[in-house]
Amino acid sequence: MSLQDAAIAANRFGLGARPGDLKSIAGDPRGWLKAQLTAETALPAPMAALPSTKDDVTAFQRWIVASGLIKSVGAYQRATAPGAPHPGAMMAAGPPSALAPAPQMAGAEPPNTAPSAQDFTGTRVIKVGDPDFSVEKSFVAWFGPRYVQAVSARMNVAVDTERPFFERLVRFWGNHFTVSSAKPLTQASPPSFERDVARRHAMDSFGDMLKASSEHPGMLLYLDNYISAGPNALLVKHPALMPPAFRAQIKGLNENPAREILELHTLGVRSGYTQEDVTTFAKVITGWTIKPQGGAGGETGLFNFVDALHEPGAKTVFGVRFDQSGVTQGLAVLDMLAHHPATAHFIATKLVRHFVADDPPPAAVDKVAAVFRDTGGDLKAVSACLVDLPEAWTPRPTKVKPPEDFVVSVVRALGGPKLSGVQLTALFTRMGQRPYYAAGPNGWSDIGDDWIGPDPIWKRLEFASAVGAGMANAGLNPNTVAESVLGPSLTVATRDAIAKAESPAQGLALLLVSPEFQRR
Amino acid sequence: MVARRQFLAGLGLATAATAAPRFVWAAVPTDRRLVVVILRGAMDGLSAVPAYGDPDYEKARAGIATPKPGDAGGALNLDGFFGLHPQMKGMAARFAGKELVVFHAVSSPYRDRSHFDGQNLLENGSVKPYGLADGWLNRAMGGLPTQVKASRKDLGVAIAAAMPLIMRGPSAVSSWSPSILPSPDAALIARVQALYGETDPKLSLALSAASDAQREAAGMSKSGDNFPSLMAAAARFLKAPDGPAIAMVESTGWDTHAGQAGAFGSLQRNLAGLDAGVDACAKEMGEAWSKTAVLCVTEFGRTVAMNGTAGTDHGTGGAAFLVGGAVNGGRVLADWPGLKPGNLYDGRDLKPTGDLRSLFKAALRDHMGVDPALLDREVFPDSAAAKATEGLFRDT
Repeated sequence: MSLQDAAIAANRFGLGARPGDLKSIAGDPRGWLKAQLTAETALPAPMAALPSTKDDVTAFQRWIVASGLIKSVGAYQRATAPGAPHPGAMMAAGPPSALAPAPQMAGAEPPNTAPSAQDFTGTRVIKVGDPDFSVEKSFVAWFGPRYVQAVSARMNVAVDTERPFFERLVRFWGNHFTVSSAKPLTQASPPSFERDVARRHAMDSFGDMLKASSEHPGMLLYLDNYISAGPNALLVKHPALMPPAFRAQIKGLNENPAREILELHTLGVRSGYTQEDVTTFAKVITGWTIKPQGGAGGETGLFNFVDALHEPGAKTVFGVRFDQSGVTQGLAVLDMLAHHPATAHFIATKLVRHFVADDPPPAAVDKVAAVFRDTGGDLKAVSACLVDLPEAWTPRPTKVKPPEDFVVSVVRALGGPKLSGVQLTALFTRMGQRPYYAAGPNGWSDIGDDWIGPDPIWKRLEFASAVGAGMANAGLNPNTVAESVLGPSLTVATRDAIAKAESPAQGLALLLVSPEFQRR
Repeated sequence: MVARRQFLAGLGLATAATAAPRFVWAAVPTDRRLVVVILRGAMDGLSAVPAYGDPDYEKARAGIATPKPGDAGGALNLDGFFGLHPQMKGMAARFAGKELVVFHAVSSPYRDRSHFDGQNLLENGSVKPYGLADGWLNRAMGGLPTQVKASRKDLGVAIAAAMPLIMRGPSAVSSWSPSILPSPDAALIARVQALYGETDPKLSLALSAASDAQREAAGMSKSGDNFPSLMAAAARFLKAPDGPAIAMVESTGWDTHAGQAGAFGSLQRNLAGLDAGVDACAKEMGEAWSKTAVLCVTEFGRTVAMNGTAGTDHGTGGAAFLVGGAVNGGRVLADWPGLKPGNLYDGRDLKPTGDLRSLFKAALRDHMGVDPALLDREVFPDSAAAKATEGLFRDT
């Protein structure tokens, strides 16, 4: 029976304790965590209601056709440029009072504005020539509702889950293999990518997850592999065989997907691979693309291997020769990478940094890397190993929560506020972590200290102040909540500060910004 | 400054004074302002600053070359050899007005092609990724003139929702970004500050700087979050008499692997945004623009040739901009390596012939009055070979 370990399990490994959690976990905190390490038998309901992968992946193309923008290259160009308006920005720019204490903040249900599964693209397509047409309005009308629904779903799952450690792992892997909405072409892709890759394979082998990521249309679009072709591929040698629209885009090799797989997904940067390895691996995965409308084989919008885009011949990557042909060559390289000791070390380092400390203790990394190697990258065993690390059970909270996890833990601790998707989007944007909008393929920082800074701390204080005011009206006692969700992690200083607060609102705000609530 | 120089001449000290580095005789520049802009994702220097006069330019850039000045969509001529991308009309006007120095074929010491390592090194100021845990711009603040340090609470401000590495370190800096929530009341702030002061030094320091920034930013919370708005916000911090001397602003989305000049192109919009951002900063600075320099740099350049997806891949040498009323501009500074295949770095990238640290050092020493002894020792360790570029600033 350890309330201290229960607090660590719920807060450091989970998404924050709810009132009552610590007592129910305290009997066996490690067992509670390990019991969560099973594959999901069914998707959480909010996730199941999201659009299909195909729907997400093809949303952009369908928009430019439906809106008539495909005929207007200038407008199309403006719309596809990074930095172009996107639903997140447009909504974040919404009314300044979007998060002020409002009925929603007092715990009332927001109006149900979520569109049905059949109607993700909003109520009206704003077309070129419509009186109120602008690229921005058209884009937001098309993508806005589905983005807001995805952000809401992600939040609701995190707040309601009984398996918070599993959810943390899903988020970890979704961030490890980042696909970002910051690229207009993949605006709608990250939720289905996260579901199909991170959630589905969180308890499988790392090799399975790597393969699923590398084949996923969201990743193929995000890193542009879908139009990368071998210099000696049939269609590059004979471009006349391609339709004109393809000919304009597909001319040869793009090394970027290969570089990011090596640097970010598997071996890690500075692990010894060369520019030659990058270029050769890029050739290996040429032809890994997406089936276009009307093409042969597979389902439109999903993974398709096109041999006529593939660079023929045997290739050597990272000192290993691959004689296979076609898609099996890429699969063999991914398999080599998944089992490489550098990958084991890189993944172990990231996991220990995520769950234990910004500077991962080498002994802990070695343990996790050894399990990774010995089990062939079995993510269930690797995750269990994290729970067994003595370094993970130091009582003092260390790492500052990223903004999204902070907000999730607030709602879990207080049972509210109930924030609408638009409010969440606006809030996270200003806190510097708009869901699914990581700036680059390296994802969000896993260094706790990266989230500390004057502006980030101020934004948290603003939020805590607004939430405190709203939730105090709902009758919460800050002293009770603090004891209940922090347990032995609650310091004397914070307990005193809350006890001496001028009002319940101020007391709740103090709890939420206290070091032991900001850190885990 | 003219008056001061004449005064020195009258005393017969002119020769000795001008022979010594400028900081010895210049009035300590306590009113200078510096904005550092990081263009994240690797700006394509050969599109931003096309070397249209190079006989190999068009061929080397087949498919993505910017047309010659005068042609449709052509470059804006700078000096008969280099031009600016047609989206950068404001910068071209500043070049004509002698406010802009363009640097080409420059890079940090980084020679591999990872964005994240490249940005880390660009910001940490050492010669390797993760070589130092804090940023050169912050360390440089320690060498600002005593009068500057004494008159300001925070020496720098990052216009960003997270503190960028380049701004982290021992000197007091703040950060700010637009908000949508009402400010917490003073009583709550005081209690949180007391709690942090007792238990958490890092959070305490952050909150204290945030409170200062909020005071300076009063009335700015409705600011937009596009690049020109952020540049204007930086200017509002800088122009306050006791405001920070240095601001840092970020711009993202420069990683143009596919269709950079075609129907999917993103570069045009980014360059137009950069151009508008400099204009917004100048406008907001008002008279203080004459004391201001804006430095725009990126982690590396991009491949000379178009890749297979009508974009460019990660490269090495690239372009940088130094613009402002304090800048001795109207020049392109480049030891041009040429674009013939044999002249390229690794047979693919623009060969870097200039070191960005020379530019950084000049801005810190000659514009901001940072103690030069500190520059080689702490700000940029192992950089003795990269001497500060001379003559980049006016005697204001």
